[in-house]
Amino acid sequence: MNSALSRRLAFAGLFIAVTVAMLIPSEGDVRVAPETRQLYEWIDSIPPGSQVIVSFDHEASALPEIRPLALALLRHCFERDLVPIGVSLLAEGTGIGFALMDQTADEYDKTYGEDYAFLGFKPQFIAAILSMGESIPATYPEDYLGTPIDSLPAMVGVTTYDDVVGVLSIADGSMTTHWVEYGEARFGVPIAGAVTAAMITSYDPYLASGQMVALMGGLRGAAEYEQLIGIGGGGSRGLLAQSVSHLYVLAMIIIGNLLWWRARRRKGKESV
Amino acid sequence: MRRKLPQIIVAAVGLIMFLVYFSGHPTAQRVNQTILVDYWQIIFAFTLIVGVIGFARSNLQQIQRGDGRFFRIVSLVGLVSMPILALIGGINAGSPFVWMFDHVQAPMQATVFALLAFFVASAALRGFRARSVPAAILLLAATITLLARSDVGGATIAWLPETAEWIRAHPSMAARRAILIGIGLGSLTTSLRILIGIERTWLGSER
Repeated sequence: MNSALSRRLAFAGLFIAVTVAMLIPSEGDVRVAPETRQLYEWIDSIPPGSQVIVSFDHEASALPEIRPLALALLRHCFERDLVPIGVSLLAEGTGIGFALMDQTADEYDKTYGEDYAFLGFKPQFIAAILSMGESIPATYPEDYLGTPIDSLPAMVGVTTYDDVVGVLSIADGSMTTHWVEYGEARFGVPIAGAVTAAMITSYDPYLASGQMVALMGGLRGAAEYEQLIGIGGGGSRGLLAQSVSHLYVLAMIIIGNLLWWRARRRKGKESV
Repeated sequence: MRRKLPQIIVAAVGLIMFLVYFSGHPTAQRVNQTILVDYWQIIFAFTLIVGVIGFARSNLQQIQRGDGRFFRIVSLVGLVSMPILALIGGINAGSPFVWMFDHVQAPMQATVFALLAFFVASAALRGFRARSVPAAILLLAATITLLARSDVGGATIAWLPETAEWIRAHPSMAARRAILIGIGLGSLTTSLRILIGIERTWLGSER
Protein backbone atom coordinates (compact mmCIF):
# COMPACT_ATOMS: atom_id res chain seq x y z
CA MET A 1 0.00 0.00 0.00
CA ASN A 2 1.14 3.52 -0.74
CA SER A 3 2.86 4.97 2.38
CA ALA A 4 1.04 8.32 2.37
CA LEU A 5 -2.31 6.59 1.78
CA SER A 6 -1.75 4.09 4.60
CA ARG A 7 -0.89 6.96 6.96
CA ARG A 8 -4.02 8.87 6.00
CA LEU A 9 -6.16 5.78 6.47
CA ALA A 10 -4.61 5.19 9.90
CA PHE A 11 -5.35 8.79 10.90
CA ALA A 12 -8.92 8.68 9.60
CA GLY A 13 -9.61 5.34 11.28
CA LEU A 14 -8.42 6.60 14.66
CA PHE A 15 -10.46 9.78 14.34
CA ILE A 16 -13.63 7.84 13.57
CA ALA A 17 -13.01 5.25 16.30
CA VAL A 18 -12.38 7.83 19.04
CA THR A 19 -15.28 10.06 17.94
CA VAL A 20 -17.74 7.17 17.98
CA ALA A 21 -16.44 5.98 21.37
CA MET A 22 -16.82 9.49 22.83
CA LEU A 23 -20.48 9.53 21.74
CA ILE A 24 -21.27 6.27 23.53
CA PRO A 25 -21.96 6.71 27.25
CA SER A 26 -19.39 4.70 29.21
CA GLU A 27 -20.81 2.88 32.19
CA GLY A 28 -19.91 -0.08 34.32
CA ASP A 29 -17.33 -0.96 36.92
CA VAL A 30 -13.64 -0.87 36.32
CA ARG A 31 -11.12 -3.07 38.07
CA VAL A 32 -9.37 -0.85 40.64
CA ALA A 33 -5.59 -1.20 40.52
CA PRO A 34 -3.82 -1.76 43.87
CA GLU A 35 -1.85 1.50 43.63
CA THR A 36 -5.02 3.55 43.05
CA ARG A 37 -6.61 1.93 46.09
CA GLN A 38 -3.41 2.69 48.05
CA LEU A 39 -3.73 6.41 47.23
CA TYR A 40 -7.42 6.39 48.13
CA GLU A 41 -6.68 4.70 51.46
CA TRP A 42 -3.81 7.10 52.20
CA ILE A 43 -6.05 10.16 51.72
CA ASP A 44 -8.87 8.43 53.59
CA SER A 45 -6.59 7.85 56.58
CA ILE A 46 -5.67 11.54 56.98
CA PRO A 47 -7.50 13.14 59.93
CA PRO A 48 -10.03 15.85 58.94
CA GLY A 49 -8.69 19.40 59.24
CA SER A 50 -5.14 18.37 58.27
CA GLN A 51 -3.31 20.45 55.70
CA VAL A 52 -2.04 18.73 52.56
CA ILE A 53 0.00 20.38 49.81
CA VAL A 54 -1.47 19.82 46.35
CA SER A 55 1.12 20.67 43.74
CA PHE A 56 -0.08 21.33 40.19
CA ASP A 57 3.08 20.38 38.31
CA HIS A 58 1.77 20.23 34.78
CA GLU A 59 1.18 22.19 31.62
CA ALA A 60 -2.00 22.88 29.69
CA SER A 61 -1.19 20.23 27.07
CA ALA A 62 -1.96 17.37 29.48
CA LEU A 63 -5.20 18.91 30.75
CA PRO A 64 -7.58 16.27 29.28
CA GLU A 65 -5.79 13.62 31.33
CA ILE A 66 -4.78 15.73 34.33
CA ARG A 67 -8.15 17.38 34.93
CA PRO A 68 -10.10 14.18 35.84
CA LEU A 69 -7.22 13.07 38.10
CA ALA A 70 -7.08 16.42 39.90
CA LEU A 71 -10.85 16.75 40.27
CA ALA A 72 -11.23 13.23 41.71
CA LEU A 73 -8.46 13.85 44.25
CA LEU A 74 -9.69 17.31 45.24
CA ARG A 75 -13.23 16.00 45.66
CA HIS A 76 -11.96 13.30 47.98
CA CYS A 77 -9.90 15.87 49.95
CA PHE A 78 -12.85 18.23 50.39
CA GLU A 79 -15.22 15.37 51.21
CA ARG A 80 -12.82 14.31 53.98
CA ASP A 81 -12.62 17.95 55.24
CA LEU A 82 -8.90 18.14 54.55
CA VAL A 83 -7.34 21.54 53.91
CA PRO A 84 -5.61 21.51 50.50
CA ILE A 85 -2.85 24.08 50.03
CA GLY A 86 -2.28 24.55 46.30
CA VAL A 87 1.10 25.37 44.81
CA SER A 88 2.55 25.07 41.33
CA LEU A 89 6.06 24.33 40.16
CA LEU A 90 5.21 25.13 36.54
CA ALA A 91 3.79 28.52 35.51
CA GLU A 92 1.01 26.99 33.42
CA GLY A 93 -0.21 24.86 36.30
CA THR A 94 -0.96 27.97 38.34
CA GLY A 95 -4.11 29.20 36.60
CA ILE A 96 -5.34 25.66 36.01
CA GLY A 97 -4.73 24.59 39.60
CA PHE A 98 -6.47 27.62 41.04
CA ALA A 99 -9.50 27.13 38.76
CA LEU A 100 -9.76 23.42 39.63
CA MET A 101 -9.55 24.10 43.37
CA ASP A 102 -12.09 26.88 43.07
CA GLN A 103 -14.51 24.68 41.10
CA THR A 104 -14.25 21.75 43.52
CA ALA A 105 -14.46 23.97 46.59
CA ASP A 106 -17.74 25.40 45.28
CA GLU A 107 -19.18 21.87 45.01
CA TYR A 108 -18.51 21.33 48.73
CA ASP A 109 -19.33 24.87 49.95
CA LYS A 110 -15.75 25.47 51.05
CA THR A 111 -14.47 28.98 51.66
CA TYR A 112 -11.22 30.25 50.23
CA GLY A 113 -8.67 31.08 52.91
CA GLU A 114 -10.44 29.04 55.57
CA ASP A 115 -10.89 25.60 54.01
CA TYR A 116 -8.25 25.81 51.31
CA ALA A 117 -5.59 28.14 50.00
CA PHE A 118 -3.62 28.60 46.82
CA LEU A 119 -0.07 29.92 47.08
CA GLY A 120 0.70 30.01 43.38
CA PHE A 121 3.85 29.56 41.34
CA LYS A 122 7.51 29.77 42.30
CA PRO A 123 10.11 29.57 39.55
CA GLN A 124 12.93 27.05 39.71
CA PHE A 125 11.22 23.97 41.10
CA ILE A 126 14.20 22.53 42.97
CA ALA A 127 14.81 25.84 44.73
CA ALA A 128 11.09 26.12 45.52
CA ILE A 129 10.90 22.61 47.03
CA LEU A 130 14.05 23.09 49.12
CA SER A 131 13.03 26.57 50.19
CA MET A 132 9.57 25.42 51.35
CA GLY A 133 11.33 22.81 53.46
CA GLU A 134 13.16 25.61 55.28
CA SER A 135 10.16 27.95 55.53
CA ILE A 136 6.86 28.04 53.66
CA PRO A 137 5.94 31.62 54.78
CA ALA A 138 9.39 32.87 53.64
CA THR A 139 8.96 31.16 50.27
CA TYR A 140 5.38 32.33 49.84
CA PRO A 141 4.84 35.52 51.88
CA GLU A 142 1.59 36.06 49.93
CA ASP A 143 -0.91 33.72 48.33
CA TYR A 144 -1.87 33.69 44.63
CA LEU A 145 -4.36 36.52 45.17
CA GLY A 146 -1.84 38.71 46.98
CA THR A 147 -3.15 38.15 50.52
CA PRO A 148 -0.45 37.78 53.21
CA ILE A 149 -0.51 34.13 54.16
CA ASP A 150 -0.38 34.93 57.90
CA SER A 151 -3.94 36.22 57.55
CA LEU A 152 -5.28 32.96 56.03
CA PRO A 153 -6.83 30.60 58.62
CA ALA A 154 -6.01 27.66 56.30
CA MET A 155 -2.31 28.43 56.73
CA VAL A 156 -2.33 28.67 60.53
CA GLY A 157 0.48 26.57 61.99
CA VAL A 158 2.00 25.77 58.60
CA THR A 159 5.68 26.70 58.66
CA THR A 160 7.50 23.75 57.09
CA TYR A 161 6.74 20.32 55.67
CA ASP A 162 6.54 19.05 59.24
CA ASP A 163 3.20 20.84 59.55
CA VAL A 164 1.52 19.18 56.58
CA VAL A 165 0.58 15.52 56.18
CA GLY A 166 2.18 15.25 52.77
CA VAL A 167 2.47 16.47 49.22
CA LEU A 168 0.16 15.37 46.44
CA SER A 169 1.91 16.07 43.15
CA ILE A 170 -0.33 16.18 40.07
CA ALA A 171 2.15 16.03 37.23
CA ASP A 172 2.52 15.39 33.51
CA GLY A 173 6.29 15.01 33.55
CA SER A 174 9.16 14.36 35.90
CA MET A 175 8.22 17.01 38.46
CA THR A 176 7.10 14.43 41.04
CA THR A 177 10.65 13.03 40.92
CA HIS A 178 11.92 16.34 42.29
CA TRP A 179 9.41 16.22 45.11
CA VAL A 180 10.75 12.75 45.97
CA GLU A 181 14.43 13.62 45.54
CA TYR A 182 14.32 16.89 47.45
CA GLY A 183 11.11 16.97 49.50
CA GLU A 184 11.12 13.35 50.70
CA ALA A 185 14.86 12.67 50.74
CA ARG A 186 15.86 15.95 52.41
CA PHE A 187 12.87 16.72 54.64
CA GLY A 188 11.04 13.40 54.91
CA VAL A 189 7.68 14.72 53.71
CA PRO A 190 5.43 11.92 52.36
CA ILE A 191 4.88 12.24 48.59
CA ALA A 192 1.95 10.88 46.61
CA GLY A 193 1.60 11.26 42.86
CA ALA A 194 -1.16 11.51 40.28
CA VAL A 195 0.53 11.43 36.91
CA THR A 196 -0.18 10.93 33.22
CA ALA A 197 -0.25 7.31 31.99
CA ALA A 198 2.92 7.79 29.96
CA MET A 199 4.86 8.69 33.11
CA ILE A 200 3.59 6.11 35.56
CA THR A 201 6.33 3.51 35.11
CA SER A 202 8.96 6.20 35.78
CA TYR A 203 7.72 6.37 39.36
CA ASP A 204 7.44 2.63 40.03
CA PRO A 205 10.92 2.39 41.62
CA TYR A 206 10.07 5.21 44.06
CA LEU A 207 6.79 3.55 45.00
CA ALA A 208 8.43 0.15 45.47
CA SER A 209 11.19 1.62 47.64
CA GLY A 210 8.68 3.44 49.85
CA GLN A 211 9.91 6.89 48.80
CA MET A 212 6.39 7.55 47.54
CA VAL A 213 3.38 6.66 49.64
CA ALA A 214 0.99 6.23 46.72
CA LEU A 215 0.66 6.69 42.99
CA MET A 216 -2.06 6.64 40.38
CA GLY A 217 -1.97 7.43 36.73
CA GLY A 218 -3.76 8.27 33.58
CA LEU A 219 -7.37 8.41 32.59
CA ARG A 220 -7.77 4.85 33.84
CA GLY A 221 -6.46 5.86 37.28
CA ALA A 222 -8.95 8.73 37.31
CA ALA A 223 -11.81 6.37 36.39
CA GLU A 224 -10.77 3.97 39.15
CA TYR A 225 -10.58 6.80 41.67
CA GLU A 226 -13.96 8.15 40.59
CA GLN A 227 -15.39 4.70 41.24
CA LEU A 228 -13.82 4.59 44.72
CA ILE A 229 -15.23 7.98 45.74
CA GLY A 230 -18.54 7.23 44.03
CA ILE A 231 -18.57 10.39 41.89
CA GLY A 232 -18.40 10.01 38.12
CA GLY A 233 -16.28 12.35 36.04
CA GLY A 234 -13.99 12.78 33.05
CA GLY A 235 -12.05 9.61 33.81
CA SER A 236 -15.03 7.29 33.45
CA ARG A 237 -16.29 9.25 30.43
CA GLY A 238 -12.96 9.12 28.59
CA LEU A 239 -12.04 5.55 29.43
CA LEU A 240 -13.98 3.96 26.59
CA ALA A 241 -12.40 6.32 24.04
CA GLN A 242 -8.97 5.53 25.44
CA SER A 243 -9.65 1.79 25.40
CA VAL A 244 -10.82 2.00 21.79
CA SER A 245 -7.69 3.92 20.80
CA HIS A 246 -5.52 1.28 22.55
CA LEU A 247 -7.26 -1.49 20.61
CA TYR A 248 -6.92 0.53 17.42
CA VAL A 249 -3.16 0.89 17.94
CA LEU A 250 -2.98 -2.87 18.56
CA ALA A 251 -4.86 -3.53 15.34
CA MET A 252 -2.43 -1.22 13.51
CA ILE A 253 0.54 -3.15 14.92
CA ILE A 254 -0.94 -6.47 13.81
CA ILE A 255 -1.89 -5.21 10.32
CA GLY A 256 1.51 -3.56 9.91
CA ASN A 257 3.33 -6.76 10.83
CA LEU A 258 1.14 -8.93 8.57
CA LEU A 259 1.80 -6.61 5.62
CA TRP A 260 5.51 -6.63 6.39
CA TRP A 261 5.68 -10.43 6.62
CA ARG A 262 3.78 -10.78 3.36
CA ALA A 263 6.08 -8.34 1.62
CA ARG A 264 9.13 -10.18 2.99
CA ARG A 265 7.83 -13.56 1.82
CA ARG A 266 7.17 -12.17 -1.66
CA LYS A 267 10.63 -10.69 -1.79
CA GLY A 268 12.12 -14.03 -0.69
CA LYS A 269 10.23 -15.95 -3.39
CA GLU A 270 11.27 -13.46 -6.07
CA SER A 271 14.96 -13.70 -5.12
CA VAL A 272 14.74 -17.53 -5.29
CA MET B 1 40.04 36.00 33.28
CA ARG B 2 36.83 35.70 31.20
CA ARG B 3 36.97 31.94 31.72
CA LYS B 4 38.57 31.83 35.15
CA LEU B 5 36.06 34.14 36.90
CA PRO B 6 32.91 32.14 36.00
CA GLN B 7 34.74 28.94 37.00
CA ILE B 8 35.66 30.41 40.40
CA ILE B 9 32.07 31.62 40.98
CA VAL B 10 30.64 28.22 40.02
CA ALA B 11 33.11 26.32 42.22
CA ALA B 12 32.52 28.62 45.23
CA VAL B 13 28.70 28.65 44.96
CA GLY B 14 28.59 24.92 44.24
CA LEU B 15 30.69 24.18 47.32
CA ILE B 16 28.62 26.50 49.53
CA MET B 17 25.35 24.94 48.33
CA PHE B 18 26.75 21.45 48.89
CA LEU B 19 27.82 22.28 52.47
CA VAL B 20 24.66 24.15 53.51
CA TYR B 21 22.46 21.38 52.09
CA PHE B 22 23.79 18.98 54.74
CA SER B 23 24.06 21.48 57.60
CA GLY B 24 21.35 22.12 60.17
CA HIS B 25 23.10 25.21 61.60
CA PRO B 26 20.84 28.33 61.62
CA THR B 27 23.43 30.38 59.67
CA ALA B 28 23.69 27.67 57.03
CA GLN B 29 19.89 27.51 56.82
CA ARG B 30 19.73 31.31 56.43
CA VAL B 31 22.32 31.24 53.65
CA ASN B 32 20.45 28.39 51.98
CA GLN B 33 17.15 30.26 52.19
CA THR B 34 18.65 33.50 50.82
CA ILE B 35 20.26 31.73 47.87
CA LEU B 36 17.19 29.61 47.11
CA VAL B 37 14.56 32.32 47.46
CA ASP B 38 16.28 35.59 46.53
CA TYR B 39 19.30 34.83 44.35
CA TRP B 40 17.66 32.09 42.35
CA GLN B 41 14.60 34.25 41.66
CA ILE B 42 16.81 37.14 40.48
CA ILE B 43 18.78 34.82 38.20
CA PHE B 44 15.51 33.38 36.86
CA ALA B 45 14.19 36.89 36.11
CA PHE B 46 17.32 37.68 34.10
CA THR B 47 17.20 34.38 32.20
CA LEU B 48 13.58 35.21 31.33
CA ILE B 49 14.63 38.62 29.96
CA VAL B 50 17.42 36.98 27.93
CA GLY B 51 14.93 34.41 26.60
CA VAL B 52 12.32 37.01 25.62
CA ILE B 53 14.90 39.22 23.88
CA GLY B 54 16.37 36.22 22.04
CA PHE B 55 12.93 35.01 20.93
CA ALA B 56 11.84 38.48 19.76
CA ARG B 57 15.12 39.16 17.91
CA SER B 58 15.13 35.80 16.17
CA ASN B 59 11.52 36.21 15.03
CA LEU B 60 12.03 39.80 13.85
CA GLN B 61 15.02 38.68 11.77
CA GLN B 62 12.96 35.88 10.21
CA ILE B 63 10.11 38.31 9.45
CA GLN B 64 12.56 40.62 7.66
CA ARG B 65 13.73 37.66 5.58
CA GLY B 66 10.11 36.76 4.81
CA ASP B 67 10.44 33.31 6.34
CA GLY B 68 7.10 32.10 7.82
CA ARG B 69 6.09 35.73 8.28
CA PHE B 70 2.46 35.15 9.35
CA PHE B 71 3.24 32.61 12.10
CA ARG B 72 6.10 34.69 13.46
CA ILE B 73 3.89 37.77 13.67
CA VAL B 74 1.28 35.71 15.58
CA SER B 75 4.04 34.54 17.98
CA LEU B 76 5.19 38.11 18.61
CA VAL B 77 1.63 39.37 19.09
CA GLY B 78 1.14 36.61 21.69
CA LEU B 79 4.41 37.49 23.38
CA VAL B 80 3.45 41.16 23.68
CA SER B 81 -0.28 40.87 24.32
CA MET B 82 -0.25 38.41 27.25
CA PRO B 83 1.85 40.60 29.59
CA ILE B 84 -0.20 43.65 28.54
CA LEU B 85 -3.47 41.82 29.33
CA ALA B 86 -2.03 40.71 32.69
CA LEU B 87 -0.96 44.28 33.52
CA ILE B 88 -4.31 45.81 32.54
CA GLY B 89 -6.79 43.24 33.82
CA GLY B 90 -4.77 41.22 36.34
CA ILE B 91 -4.43 37.44 36.42
CA ASN B 92 -7.43 36.50 38.54
CA ALA B 93 -10.32 34.32 37.39
CA GLY B 94 -12.48 36.12 34.82
CA SER B 95 -9.68 38.44 33.66
CA PRO B 96 -8.86 38.70 29.92
CA PHE B 97 -5.47 37.10 30.64
CA VAL B 98 -7.09 33.99 32.13
CA TRP B 99 -9.69 33.96 29.35
CA MET B 100 -6.91 33.91 26.74
CA PHE B 101 -5.10 31.17 28.66
CA ASP B 102 -8.22 29.01 29.04
CA HIS B 103 -9.65 29.53 25.56
CA VAL B 104 -6.57 29.95 23.39
CA GLN B 105 -3.43 28.55 24.94
CA ALA B 106 -4.85 25.49 26.75
CA PRO B 107 -6.90 24.18 23.77
CA MET B 108 -3.99 24.81 21.38
CA GLN B 109 -1.55 22.90 23.55
CA ALA B 110 -4.03 20.08 24.15
CA THR B 111 -4.61 19.88 20.38
CA VAL B 112 -0.90 19.59 19.63
CA PHE B 113 -0.52 16.96 22.36
CA ALA B 114 -3.54 15.03 21.06
CA LEU B 115 -1.89 14.79 17.64
CA LEU B 116 0.52 12.33 19.25
CA ALA B 117 -2.23 9.70 19.17
CA PHE B 118 -2.30 9.94 15.37
CA PHE B 119 1.46 9.66 15.13
CA VAL B 120 1.40 6.64 17.43
CA ALA B 121 -1.22 4.97 15.22
CA SER B 122 0.82 5.72 12.11
CA ALA B 123 4.04 4.52 13.74
CA ALA B 124 2.29 1.33 14.92
CA LEU B 125 1.23 0.60 11.35
CA ARG B 126 4.50 1.42 9.63
CA GLY B 127 7.31 1.05 12.13
CA PHE B 128 6.60 -1.36 14.97
CA ARG B 129 7.92 -4.60 13.44
CA ALA B 130 8.95 -7.92 14.98
CA ARG B 131 12.23 -7.90 13.04
CA SER B 132 14.21 -9.70 15.75
CA VAL B 133 13.66 -11.66 18.97
CA PRO B 134 14.09 -8.59 21.26
CA ALA B 135 11.69 -6.62 19.03
CA ALA B 136 9.17 -9.48 19.19
CA ILE B 137 9.45 -9.58 23.00
CA LEU B 138 8.92 -5.82 23.15
CA LEU B 139 5.92 -6.16 20.85
CA LEU B 140 4.41 -8.88 23.02
CA ALA B 141 4.94 -6.87 26.22
CA ALA B 142 3.40 -3.79 24.60
CA THR B 143 0.42 -5.82 23.37
CA ILE B 144 -0.26 -7.30 26.82
CA THR B 145 0.10 -3.89 28.53
CA LEU B 146 -2.11 -2.10 26.01
CA LEU B 147 -4.80 -4.77 26.24
CA ALA B 148 -4.70 -4.80 30.03
CA ARG B 149 -4.97 -1.02 30.23
CA SER B 150 -7.95 -1.04 27.90
CA ASP B 151 -11.33 -1.59 29.44
CA VAL B 152 -12.12 -4.44 27.06
CA GLY B 153 -9.01 -6.59 27.51
CA GLY B 154 -8.60 -6.09 31.26
CA ALA B 155 -12.21 -6.97 31.97
CA THR B 156 -12.58 -10.02 29.71
CA ILE B 157 -9.27 -11.87 30.05
CA ALA B 158 -8.65 -12.75 33.69
CA TRP B 159 -4.86 -13.29 33.56
CA LEU B 160 -4.16 -10.14 31.54
CA PRO B 161 -4.08 -7.50 34.33
CA GLU B 162 -1.84 -9.72 36.52
CA THR B 163 0.55 -10.35 33.63
CA ALA B 164 0.68 -6.63 32.79
CA GLU B 165 1.38 -5.83 36.44
CA TRP B 166 4.14 -8.46 36.52
CA ILE B 167 5.75 -6.87 33.43
CA ARG B 168 5.57 -3.48 35.11
CA ALA B 169 6.81 -4.67 38.50
CA HIS B 170 9.75 -6.76 37.28
CA PRO B 171 11.32 -6.26 33.81
CA SER B 172 10.14 -2.67 33.44
CA MET B 173 11.10 -1.69 36.99
CA ALA B 174 14.54 -3.34 36.67
CA ALA B 175 15.22 -1.30 33.52
CA ARG B 176 13.93 1.87 35.19
CA ARG B 177 16.16 1.34 38.20
CA ALA B 178 19.19 0.79 35.99
CA ILE B 179 18.43 4.01 34.11
CA LEU B 180 17.89 5.97 37.35
CA ILE B 181 21.14 4.71 38.87
CA GLY B 182 22.95 5.54 35.62
CA ILE B 183 21.49 9.06 35.60
CA GLY B 184 22.44 9.54 39.26
CA LEU B 185 26.03 8.46 38.76
CA GLY B 186 26.30 10.52 35.57
CA SER B 187 24.94 13.64 37.29
CA LEU B 188 27.31 13.17 40.21
CA THR B 189 30.43 12.84 38.07
CA THR B 190 29.42 15.71 35.77
CA SER B 191 28.75 17.97 38.78
CA LEU B 192 32.13 17.09 40.29
CA ARG B 193 33.89 17.69 36.98
CA ILE B 194 32.25 21.14 36.73
CA LEU B 195 33.03 22.04 40.34
CA ILE B 196 36.72 21.16 40.10
CA GLY B 197 37.07 22.72 36.67
CA ILE B 198 37.73 19.66 34.50
CA GLU B 199 34.49 20.09 32.57
CA ARG B 200 34.55 23.47 30.82
CA THR B 201 32.27 23.03 27.82
CA TRP B 202 29.52 25.03 29.58
CA LEU B 203 31.76 28.11 29.22
CA GLY B 204 31.44 27.96 25.44
CA SER B 205 34.29 28.20 22.94
CA GLU B 206 37.69 29.73 23.72
CA ARG B 207 36.90 32.84 21.68
